[in-house]
Amino acid sequence: MLEVADRSASSDTDHFDSAAPAAPKRASGPSMNAVNNWVPHDLVMRDSWFPLAHDHAVGKTPVRRAVYSHPFYIWREDGKVVASEFHPLEIVTRDKSPYTDARGRYPVIEHYGLIWGWFGRPEAADPAHLPSLPFLPPKGGLPKHMTATIRFDCSAPISLENLIDLTHADFLHADVVGDEKSDSEEVEVYYDSETITMVRTLVNKSVAPIMKFFSGIRQPTQNVRQVIRIYLRSHCAIAYGRFSPGDDVPLFHPCTPESRDRTRMEMVMNTSNAGTMFRHVMPKAGYKVSRQDSSMTNPQSPRYMDLSPRKDLHSRFDQAGQRYRLLMMDLAARQDAGDFAYRDNVSADCSDIIGLRKELFQF
Amino acid sequence: MASPWWKVALSEEVTSTKPLAVDVADQPVVLWRDAQGIARALEDRCPHRRAPLSRGCVRDNGWIQCGYHGWSYDGETGRLKDIPNMKDEQKFPPVYKAAAFAVSENGGFVSVNLDQKTLLAPPAVRHDMPLGGTAHVALGHDQWISALFDDPGLVLDIRSVQFTPYLMSDLREENGLLVMERFCQWGKLHWPSYATAEFPITLITRTDPETGETEAVLRDDSFRTLLTAQVAPVPAARGVTQVRWRACIGDELKGSHAVGLRHKGSFAVRETVDAAALRVLIPSASHLANKLREDIRSAAPAVPSSVSAAA
Ligand code: FES
Ligand SMILES: [Fe+2]
Repeated sequence: MLEVADRSASSDTDHFDSAAPAAPKRASGPSMNAVNNWVPHDLVMRDSWFPLAHDHAVGKTPVRRAVYSHPFYIWREDGKVVASEFHPLEIVTRDKSPYTDARGRYPVIEHYGLIWGWFGRPEAADPAHLPSLPFLPPKGGLPKHMTATIRFDCSAPISLENLIDLTHADFLHADVVGDEKSDSEEVEVYYDSETITMVRTLVNKSVAPIMKFFSGIRQPTQNVRQVIRIYLRSHCAIAYGRFSPGDDVPLFHPCTPESRDRTRMEMVMNTSNAGTMFRHVMPKAGYKVSRQDSSMTNPQSPRYMDLSPRKDLHSRFDQAGQRYRLLMMDLAARQDAGDFAYRDNVSADCSDIIGLRKELFQF
Repeated sequence: MASPWWKVALSEEVTSTKPLAVDVADQPVVLWRDAQGIARALEDRCPHRRAPLSRGCVRDNGWIQCGYHGWSYDGETGRLKDIPNMKDEQKFPPVYKAAAFAVSENGGFVSVNLDQKTLLAPPAVRHDMPLGGTAHVALGHDQWISALFDDPGLVLDIRSVQFTPYLMSDLREENGLLVMERFCQWGKLHWPSYATAEFPITLITRTDPETGETEAVLRDDSFRTLLTAQVAPVPAARGVTQVRWRACIGDELKGSHAVGLRHKGSFAVRETVDAAALRVLIPSASHLANKLREDIRSAAPAVPSSVSAAA
């Protein structure tokens, strides 16, 4: 059930783009105006896998993680990963949560070089709900320098809204990815009940400085196809850029909600196909880019903590972000009503949806 | 109570190269200069995704551009003027705007009024003063003003000047200002003030009862003006008081202490307040001042402020 958002999600809010064709109203869920009833800090997604750690980060000694402030202690027993809400040395004085088994253990799974913890009803944990990440080797094994842990100083949905709205990159990250100048810009949005995918196509965009320096691109412009795909429940995103001339850079960009107003990213960037220089430098760019993002999302975040009668203004470039808000609120409303079922399959191979050049990523 | 004018910046702090973030209590404000050099003030909150406009930049044509997605606004009206890559669709309905505030510049200060349609005349400072500075004090606005009335030495620092607890004239209202004159001494080496017969200098303060804005004049016993300062405390975020000030030294200075005022840094608003001393400071002039401030406030006709209603 993949729908095409063939109109701006904002066409019936206070928006000037009223010429957009009207699509049939969706049968249920929040109305379009709900886009402004957005309090990301209050959203809690259950029955979901969250990426908690790179596999290389976990050994015999427990490491500490959290999902919505629920403690996850993770370690290996005979090489096998376990996740518990109690530290093995803890003298337990608190009650067990409903999210773990009788021993206080969470469902946990190791895949794509990451350790995933299940937050929700333990009996509902199913590997079938693991997001599809076709550019990562299922058994892991990418070199460490392609991974990083980065934190964002805002709530997780704000971080993801930031990611799916790529127009900000031309301003905030101009020094890394190049300025806003291009001959044309197209944004398409596809979604189902569990995912949203945005495809942005730019013709003759100024070459990203980082590629100029490290991939040796000599032309002044390049064509760019950027894809952002978000797995709503897991707060995980794929950011896939295809640059011609240039490189193919798929990035796994999770935004794990450790606490209400802070986000943790266990980043994996598969640059195996890029030139040596670029392969090593590009993953490091994340440190700089993420601070630039936090410089905006950090002050933004408290301004979304309470419902405000003051509506955000939107442009036609915001349809993906608006749709993301609506889908998240849809899911949250369903969960509030006790419906935790997956209506769409998140583990089905998404290579075609994101336009992955499969031949480059054979495992 | 009509929304007052607040001196939120020194003129030289407001430029067309980098926007300046200030606040009036909980209201964040961004200031900059447009292409004509006119100081502009908008709410420091982009109506697109609520990012602070002060983290953006000023364009060559004087519009402020948000650093997040590059939306540009006109400073006079707050209206949205430009969205990058929208090319020929650049006509926006009137609701596409940031809240604009009234701005006035005078005497080396930039003042804002959160009520853009205010009828109050902007404050006038008599002359431009060359010295200036900004202090951030971790003390509420009302408390800062009370400390100024009871012991100016806790909040002001004038080279070689010791403030005594003795007044030449009690606090009184004069043309809508709260005026008082306090005896001061030079240096540290002298009899304690309670046992001193004559004091060489006085500090006259004229304070606006609403904003606490104060003109302070240091005068010697021959009626020579040694120093004039304009001090503007503004309530800022989290109970901090931001104090902007300007000062000038008199032309005719007699005596080594008075001449010493010509040294750099002879006037300053203290960044830190001695909290132990403040806690035990016994109320004196502030008692009457608070009463007068209250009376003046309640006598003024109520004019709704438009800050919170700003769309
Ligand atoms: S938040 Fe200012 S342009 Fe988007
Ligand atoms: Fe970003």
